[in-house]
Amino acid sequence: MAATFFGEVVKAPCRAGTEDEEEEEEEEEEEGRRETPEDREVRQQLARKREVRLLRRQTKTSLEVALLEKYPCSKFIIAIGNNAVAFLSSFVMNSGVWEEVGCAKLWNEWCRTTDTTHLSSTEAFCVFYHLKSNPSVFLCQCSCYVAEDQQYQWLEKVFGSCPRKNMQITILTCRHVTDYKTSESTGSLPSPFLKALKTQNFKDSACCPLLEQPNIVHDLPAAVLSYCQVWKIPAILYLCYTDVMKLDLITVEAFKPILSTRSLKGLVKNIPQSTEILKKLMTTNEIQSNIYT
Amino acid sequence: MASRYDRAITVFSPDGHLFQVEYAQEAVKKGSTAVGIRGTNIVVLGVEKKSVAKLQDERTVRKICALDDHVCMAFAGLTADARVVINRARVECQSHKLTVEDPVTVEYITRFIATLKQKYTQSNGRRPFGISALIVGFDDDGISRLYQTDPSGTYHAWKANAIGRNAKTVREFLEKNYTEDAIASDSEAIKLAIKALLEVVQSGGKNIELAIIRRNQPLKMFSAKEVELYVTEIEKEKEEAEKKKSKKSV
Repeated sequence: MAATFFGEVVKAPCRAGTEDEEEEEEEEEEEGRRETPEDREVRQQLARKREVRLLRRQTKTSLEVALLEKYPCSKFIIAIGNNAVAFLSSFVMNSGVWEEVGCAKLWNEWCRTTDTTHLSSTEAFCVFYHLKSNPSVFLCQCSCYVAEDQQYQWLEKVFGSCPRKNMQITILTCRHVTDYKTSESTGSLPSPFLKALKTQNFKDSACCPLLEQPNIVHDLPAAVLSYCQVWKIPAILYLCYTDVMKLDLITVEAFKPILSTRSLKGLVKNIPQSTEILKKLMTTNEIQSNIYT
Repeated sequence: MASRYDRAITVFSPDGHLFQVEYAQEAVKKGSTAVGIRGTNIVVLGVEKKSVAKLQDERTVRKICALDDHVCMAFAGLTADARVVINRARVECQSHKLTVEDPVTVEYITRFIATLKQKYTQSNGRRPFGISALIVGFDDDGISRLYQTDPSGTYHAWKANAIGRNAKTVREFLEKNYTEDAIASDSEAIKLAIKALLEVVQSGGKNIELAIIRRNQPLKMFSAKEVELYVTEIEKEKEEAEKKKSKKSV
């Protein structure tokens, strides 16, 4: 009991521990918190809706085991985001014959469609390929957003619960330059620019400076890197900071230094032709907007 | 974190940032590139033409506008904001002429536009203008001028500058190539503007729009053919320079 300035007496909360009355209150609260069957039903429905499914290419049936447990892998290149996907499409995928092995279908609030069972091919996609001439080289084009609760599922379905350590992972993605932590003003940064972040077991050198402290990365690239660090898999993330988040020629070309690294060695043949393909990709994807001139 | 200080325009963050103004500068970067060059007897404005929809009338998508007979500007950023600023500037030009019986100086109208922009960074309920402008023209004293304004309401005089998407690349090109020789003649200044734009414009000359003002002459917009002529000349010069280089190395 405490007296306030105005003379009223107020019951002060007791720090000594729970009294008898409070135990009863707690029990009541717990009852309220206890799930009803309806709650459980809703929760399960939501979990089913947000499930990440990995489908085989031809049969469109789910893969029973993780992708990289089913197929041996020596190199895995993952492109996350539309600029990284455009880079791999123009420079790597047209320099060899790549065969689709499967795709990941998932739904979250970022998807523009409400139908979770029939995601068409024009929706944001996540497709896995391997090189026909060297089937242990894998490539993933991921242009959909993988939500936080789905990232672990994605990792499990792709890498499995006990991944091999003799593969090398390369991840490419983009972030807006305002995410780059620096004391300079974002206007003075030479965007787009490339930064790298690697796991402890990645022994090669990066083709660009490493991301300085505080080196924070987000979303699926961060999940993959964390997974690789925990399982001691050599992995490197090439992060392009840009001021244009939509598909943009100069941003995609900022990834070019990676073409000379060991990760992509032997996978890139015709660079001038690739640049032409990239330009075509840009013009076909331009959405007409009159807001900015 | 930035998110707590960017809701209201009138709030400074603890380290002195006005986030809304900085975000407005991001909006400018979404507009296509515009470049301005101040020559001795000519001022040049070049812009990257936005690709126009099939059914759209090309003449209504203009980045270069005359403010008066002797002043014109190019902008990058939000189209609607630019329209409002241009209208206000045009009215001010005529009002000045009627009141003082003299046409505005380029610096005067730039200061007017900059003051207008600054006002919108200091009142609540309003957001800054999301445009940067390059204002060029000749004063009565016959000297060429080029000014640049940005959403914060600052303005500076420049010898050559670029705004909009990829402005940094163009500015670096200009820093390397803007010499007294390069702007000695009118055609050289025009070529410099086109060369600067070609650094960042995809698919070459047909996506470039050019305007010039010569001393005591009104604004002249180049037709697509005239731009193509200059582009072909530039390409020829490039080829000849490369031939000379390969001859030298052999």
